[in-house]
Amino acid sequence: MDDYSIIKRLELKDSVMLAGWMDDASDIGQRTLDYIIRQTECELCAEILPDTFFPMSGVSVVDDVAQFPECKFYSSQHRNLLVFRGNIPRMDWYRFLQAVIDVAQIYRVKEIYTVGAMVSVAAHTMPRILVAIANTAEVKSELEPYNVMTDSDFETPAGQKPTLSSYLAWLAGQRNITAVNLWVPVPFYLVQAEDPRACKRLIYFFNDKYKLGVDFTGLDAEIASQNRKMAALFQKSPVIESYVRRLETGEGLDAEQSEQLVNEVLEHLKKDG
Amino acid sequence: MGIKYLREVELVNPVMVACWPGIGNIGLIAVDFLRRSLMAEELAYIEPWEFFYPNRVIIRKGVIMEVGFPGSEFFFKRTASRDLIIFTGEEQPAEGGRVYAEGSKAYRMANMVLDVAQKFGCTRIYTSGAAVAPIHHTARSRVWAVPNTARLLDELKGYENTVLMSDIEGREGQGNITGMNGLLLGVARRRGIDAVCMMGEIPVYLQGFPFVYPKGSKSVLEVLTKALGIFVDMTELNKLAEQSELELTSLYDKLPSEIKNQLDRLRQSTVAAPESGEVITEEDKKKILEDIDKFFKRGGES
Repeated sequence: MDDYSIIKRLELKDSVMLAGWMDDASDIGQRTLDYIIRQTECELCAEILPDTFFPMSGVSVVDDVAQFPECKFYSSQHRNLLVFRGNIPRMDWYRFLQAVIDVAQIYRVKEIYTVGAMVSVAAHTMPRILVAIANTAEVKSELEPYNVMTDSDFETPAGQKPTLSSYLAWLAGQRNITAVNLWVPVPFYLVQAEDPRACKRLIYFFNDKYKLGVDFTGLDAEIASQNRKMAALFQKSPVIESYVRRLETGEGLDAEQSEQLVNEVLEHLKKDG
Repeated sequence: MGIKYLREVELVNPVMVACWPGIGNIGLIAVDFLRRSLMAEELAYIEPWEFFYPNRVIIRKGVIMEVGFPGSEFFFKRTASRDLIIFTGEEQPAEGGRVYAEGSKAYRMANMVLDVAQKFGCTRIYTSGAAVAPIHHTARSRVWAVPNTARLLDELKGYENTVLMSDIEGREGQGNITGMNGLLLGVARRRGIDAVCMMGEIPVYLQGFPFVYPKGSKSVLEVLTKALGIFVDMTELNKLAEQSELELTSLYDKLPSEIKNQLDRLRQSTVAAPESGEVITEEDKKKILEDIDKFFKRGGES
């Protein structure tokens, strides 16, 4: 029996798949992909069946609401686009990712991009440089015109595990599908809050490269709203503003200052909705 | 997916020694030391995808060069007394954040290991692990031996520094061996293959910490090599055990006196059925572990 279910079969060809995970830093995966799904009028087309990959041992409750794992694909025939957004599986990762790639192949995906956040010590006002990790050197030249960093070196430190996105890209390579992990920096003090600038940077890349016709008005409004909230916080607490200014100039903060920044920003943004 | 053989070899009535990580890595250190000392050669490996999440990625100039997985490897060695197959698993095929494997994946891996054992005609399997015991780290670890058939009990009774579960005070021959090192015994029994698990003792107060405990490994290897009838130069492992004891003693000396006083009582508790009235009770044990835990959570300040 397949680990996926096809809900609606749309004819795509040499399509691109964007993929991301729920509950990462600043909810970057979900927020970025939801915006793209709405803007490109993608429709639900397939899902990974949850029972093999998640312990069916009850539900978690978040903000008073019972949750259940979701791993769904959306597609737009018009844009030749497939979007996958899902919870990170708790078991059988290899089989799970093979199922994701199986669905991608049904929709004739040629390239996979994953989106994710990397925690940064830079200020939220600083330009966001995307970091791309590819499963083949050939794709790097295609990324160069889009102001993306493509020459990173990295080795998993002892005791840590590679990301699921890296694993997906590597497995896609085994099946001759080009894949790129795109990482956007998210300031450490926004990890538990929203970061519309980070989402915009990612969406801007996809819109530029694949001509998705995204209207940024909604995201710009979110950025403006966050700017207003941060300005109000700076007025109320000049020390917080001084911390952010120090990050803007590349000066670091000590552990206590960093903690104060995280707590006050989070409390302020939450309070103001 | 399955077992990949790296070479064709003919082995005569080999014995298999298999091990996965566990408390203090007692078994794995012993078996890996055996493998290295004998300069055992690669024989086969179990493909990892089905069992493990990757444990490393190497990225160079923005390109994924390599994704690595925990190894599950077989080695072989022909010795003068007998042929050996050595299996080491870098991780247990556990899920959901557990350390020890259980469920269908664990069962599948145990069967794959035994498929290799049977392919080469292994007549005996040894696994190894840790036995959490109320002993002091200055004491010599004994080896708790558990066979998967009563036929082997008499043989095991003849091993030096080795006890059966029934020799352990309060156990009456009962107990559990968690994870792959135990499961392999059960699955071997199901297939009619004799198997023994040899567990080196580790002090009860070290069980929750990420320390290796080479003293336990040394005891296991002493018994195992005797059972296999092979000689291994133990110099390196002896040094490692001595070094570990020195480091533990240095840490021990920094413990608050009330914890140390309680642990000192374990110095007397080095035999299977202690006769002194000053031994550690279950309640004492719980309190000691809680105190030590608190000590380490405070960052080792006394």
